[in-house]
Amino acid sequence: MGGQGSGGAHGGSQYNPANVSGTGGAGQSGNYTGFAYGQNSALNNSRIEGNAAVASVNAATPSTPVEPYQGINMPQLGTLFDKTTRPDEPITAGVDGNTPGPGSEVLPQGLMNNTRIDENAKIAAQYLPDLAMAAKSPDAPDSFKNFVNYLIQNSQSVVQNG
Amino acid sequence: MADVNWMPGSLFDNIDKFANSLGYQNSAIAIELAMMSWKSPDERDAFITSITGEDPKGGTEKNYIKQNF
Repeated sequence: MGGQGSGGAHGGSQYNPANVSGTGGAGQSGNYTGFAYGQNSALNNSRIEGNAAVASVNAATPSTPVEPYQGINMPQLGTLFDKTTRPDEPITAGVDGNTPGPGSEVLPQGLMNNTRIDENAKIAAQYLPDLAMAAKSPDAPDSFKNFVNYLIQNSQSVVQNG
Repeated sequence: MADVNWMPGSLFDNIDKFANSLGYQNSAIAIELAMMSWKSPDERDAFITSITGEDPKGGTEKNYIKQNF
């Protein structure tokens, strides 16, 4: 039995009027026919080149492996309540202060960069003139003036420290 | 005449409340939050309380002498 879009039952005519090949009579082969003299071969050549280009692009696209970590011996992740895998290392290792083990100097450097200082300096430079003007208002509360003073001192220290 | 810039819920009032509630070290976040469109000072203060667990700090409304404009 033919599926949808195939010929009619018992080899009869097609039921689906939209099932028409855009390439003309040779739709099964993909070759263009029915165009003006000389255009069929040109269209077919461009089709072949286009298919080759698509195939090369597909070949260059890395496909996701089924198991991305296949072949890598990763230790199985435990839970917080599992026994430690580093019995010789105190749990407070990496914490500064009067705690067992080394301090924060053993932690990897540069993984976490505190950008808050930069953000504060940037926003202070951007809004400080307006904030300073507002702080001069007789209605400005002391808490706001303290905040503006903090921004001024902070921006000056940032300039001095580079 | 009272400064309109210091009406409760104004930008500078918001900055004052957020900066003093969140801490000066968080000034960038405080100013960003102050620029948000808060429906009312009460809503703003409720937000501050929800993230700090404390009442909003900063100048109180007594600094601003309410007048009819």
